[in-house]
Amino acid sequence: MAVIEENPGYKWVGTRPIRPDGLEKITGKAQFGADSILPGMLYGSVVRSPHAHARILSIDMSVAKSMPGVKAVITSADFPDLALNGGSAGDIDMSNNVMARAKVLYEGHVVAAVAANTREQAKAAADAVIVNYEVLPHVLTVDEAMADNAPLLHDGMYTKGIDPKPEKPSNVASRVVHERGDLDKGFAEADLVIEREYTTKPVHQGYIEPHAAVADANSDGRAHIWCSSQGHFQMRAHTATVLGVSPGTIKVTAAEIGGGFGGKTVVYLEPLAVRLSQRAGRPVKLVMDRDEVFRASGPTSGTRIKVKMGVTNEGQLTAADVWMGYEAGAFSGSPVGAAGMTVIACYDIPNFFVEGFDVVVNKPRVAAYRAPGAPMAAFAVETVMDELARGINIDPIDLRLQNAVVEGTQASYGPKFPRIGFVETLEAIKNHPQYTAELGPNQGRGVAAGFWFNAGMNSSATVHINENGTATVVVGSPDIGGSRQSMALMAAEELGISYENIKPVVADTETVGFNDVTGGSRVTLATGAAVVDACRVITADLRARAAKTWDVEIDDVEWVDGQAQHVDGSQPPLSLADLAGKSGRTGGPISATASLNARGVGAAFSTQLCDVEVDPETGITRVIRYVSAQDAGRAISPAYVEGQMQGGVAQGIGWALNEEYIHNSSGVMENASFLDYRIPVASDLPMIDTVIVEVPNPAHPYGVRGVGEVGIVPPMAAVANAISDAAGVRMKDLPMSPVKLLEALNEKGK
Amino acid sequence: MIPAAFDYVRAHSAQEAISLLSEYGDEAKLLAGGHSLLPMMKLRLAVPTVLIDIGRVDDLSYVRDQGDHLAIGALTKHGFLETNALLNSECPILAHVASKVGDPQVRHRGTIGGSLAHSDSASDLPAAVLALGGTIVAQGPNGVREISSTDFFTGYFESSLAEDEMLTEIRVPKSPGANWNYQKFNRRAQDWAIVGVAAVRVGNSTNVSLVNMGSTPIRAEAVEAALKAGVNAEEAALHAADDTEPPTDLNASPEYRAHLARVLTKRALQASGL
Repeated sequence: MAVIEENPGYKWVGTRPIRPDGLEKITGKAQFGADSILPGMLYGSVVRSPHAHARILSIDMSVAKSMPGVKAVITSADFPDLALNGGSAGDIDMSNNVMARAKVLYEGHVVAAVAANTREQAKAAADAVIVNYEVLPHVLTVDEAMADNAPLLHDGMYTKGIDPKPEKPSNVASRVVHERGDLDKGFAEADLVIEREYTTKPVHQGYIEPHAAVADANSDGRAHIWCSSQGHFQMRAHTATVLGVSPGTIKVTAAEIGGGFGGKTVVYLEPLAVRLSQRAGRPVKLVMDRDEVFRASGPTSGTRIKVKMGVTNEGQLTAADVWMGYEAGAFSGSPVGAAGMTVIACYDIPNFFVEGFDVVVNKPRVAAYRAPGAPMAAFAVETVMDELARGINIDPIDLRLQNAVVEGTQASYGPKFPRIGFVETLEAIKNHPQYTAELGPNQGRGVAAGFWFNAGMNSSATVHINENGTATVVVGSPDIGGSRQSMALMAAEELGISYENIKPVVADTETVGFNDVTGGSRVTLATGAAVVDACRVITADLRARAAKTWDVEIDDVEWVDGQAQHVDGSQPPLSLADLAGKSGRTGGPISATASLNARGVGAAFSTQLCDVEVDPETGITRVIRYVSAQDAGRAISPAYVEGQMQGGVAQGIGWALNEEYIHNSSGVMENASFLDYRIPVASDLPMIDTVIVEVPNPAHPYGVRGVGEVGIVPPMAAVANAISDAAGVRMKDLPMSPVKLLEALNEKGK
Repeated sequence: MIPAAFDYVRAHSAQEAISLLSEYGDEAKLLAGGHSLLPMMKLRLAVPTVLIDIGRVDDLSYVRDQGDHLAIGALTKHGFLETNALLNSECPILAHVASKVGDPQVRHRGTIGGSLAHSDSASDLPAAVLALGGTIVAQGPNGVREISSTDFFTGYFESSLAEDEMLTEIRVPKSPGANWNYQKFNRRAQDWAIVGVAAVRVGNSTNVSLVNMGSTPIRAEAVEAALKAGVNAEEAALHAADDTEPPTDLNASPEYRAHLARVLTKRALQASGL
């Protein structure tokens, strides 16, 4: 661990205790999304479009309805048409993605759902639903969708961000631009200009647990949902919107979550389960299988990206010109906005023009995936950076150091950076023994960097002191990456009691204050800050109770090591257990709640070093060594931080070398299983060495920045740069498959 | 991912399994380790109406020394072959290839007889038995017959086993001093081979077999002939794809498979000391 600022003597923060959810998970007791079983529960099944783009002419449910065990059938007619009720464009899209209305826009798009006594009956009934389609021409890529006279997904889509408003509708939902300085002047000052074009394919988050929801609707209009998500308050809000009811009528209990990586911030099954339950008068369970997860839940965008950058012989970046087309899937909302903001955010470049397009295509609607939008952009820019460094014969880390953003730099996307740790991650890699280790035949080394904003948003937490002086920490952030442990560690530090005496709990939407999604690497920062605030209210209360007991002023009482102490030592200390046991005599139960909108978000940077070995005869690339250095601010739970860093790299290597959605010419996905969609397994990866850099975020009580996302930003470029070093070819299209590499080698040999 | 409905019967002996096969005819499939059959049933690529479970026929799991050859029970699991001392010393290529099948879970359940009877050209063990010039023993209502491995694999997931026959034993020649090599190319560990090559060299004779280069595991006859004619490994390997019809799928084009066959054959021959 590269400690930049010494740990100021924390007892619990920064330790590696047993995780609170570990035993339940390894013994199989943990309740995931599909594990809830209610008395009288029915099973649902969903009817999905076999076509990439088609008009729904009719849906005949008569046979399905009369089949054995069938209790309810629904179509879009069973949901309010938000377009007629003044719904926002975003709400209308969300509703139409949950259940197609008039048109299906991708293979796998839901057109109907059924509920029956058994899973088999439900499946049989779903198969018996007869849908008549008028198949329409489809578009699958940015190029196809932006072509003249391309078939349109949405007749009323006029590109936003273009002045004047376009006269004709198109598949381009919006255009975003970030610019500074004078591009022509910048390129004129450059001694070397590199211009390249890249493509990436949609890739799936690949969470192991498929989407699952159980809903139990009451006859009074209220409903209870059990589901696995990255934010049960968001599931509540979105389900309410799609159903056209008040969020307060819906209660959501968070199940344990088997991975999400951004993809479980979206409602797919929840509104269907509630409506089926209402129609049937019984609880209903809906569970996707893997095939449905691939075909109908969010991958991230496929992209086309063009980058032109200039540098002086002295290593000063002078200009960057970036064009980005991001597939949104069937509805607007690709992460091209974040891509535009992050694409050159690592560097202080005086002249730039960044232009991005959000493009709809006949594929499943994209969902967030770790640092949404940034990894593809970094693949392009960070490989151009490598070419620039080699072109002017400067070490690639030195080129980055020379142009790195630091505290006070005006970020390419607007604000001035507060204290950040980018330079420290670059230096950590440069100083790592791997950076200068010897390479064997056909081996090569690549470096790449990445940036992610991290998020703050809204969190609430409640801390209860139990009668024996132990504590319960109640949060509303689903624990997707170790947040229960981080919350307990910070609470232990604040209260001065043992970590083992703290029980962290993820409560339902009616038991804890509002929480935004577990996303944006925000929970340790924001929910953590709420926990710390609540603990500080409690320790102030405990001091007051001790002062009352001793009949002294509160200012004479300190809270140290889990006990109230008189500043002059004139009273025997009172432990938390002492005070908790007598709480009835000092004002009643001890408990506090904090709700906040987190400020002072700390941006995250990662620099990564990849060694590959290329087989020039078969074209396959094996990653043989890997080092990731990341600024965590402060690693509350270092084991989890390392896991986040390694996980991001593992997913990034899959994205770099193997993963891709493969569609046939009809727009049907051909590899919708883990057999054919190749996520790397442990044997495909080397040990991923981690260097946790700690440049504390000054705005957080423990210096937290958030660590969940930035680790996936650099790997594709790191691998590509290593391949270039090993084989002398620049790979510009993901995934960098053996066949593509062989073609590139053959081209080079000509 | 849910198989079509089927009936299930358990057989307690090979004899019982064979009489059940006679009873149910071509609607029935034998279930051994299930690691090839069940995934195909879940994908509805196989739709047997009766499964005859031979997983608990316990006298068909063995490796025995029979003088000039080893006899391997059909229900011997890959994991057992991988670590079996007799196999490792007398026919090490088979132990090695068994260790390359799938992952530990698969090797803990999958059986060599099941793998051969399944006759998937993408599987490892059929090609290894083919390269070894092994013999397959089949038992039917009218007794036992021996089938040469070169005659055993007849088509895409098809073998020369009759509907009422059960594969009971595999016999491979002892080859303790032989040079051998197995090359398996896949893009992800534990996947099926996109192409594989097994080479076994005994004295001056070299057998080469190919995985996933046709509808069945095949011998690379052109390579073997070239070697017999005296050319070196590199030149002989250029014939690895001669007269083959490699499949096309999401993993590879026929052209890339042909290229891989040549590269991997060269490596397998060179690693076998040629």
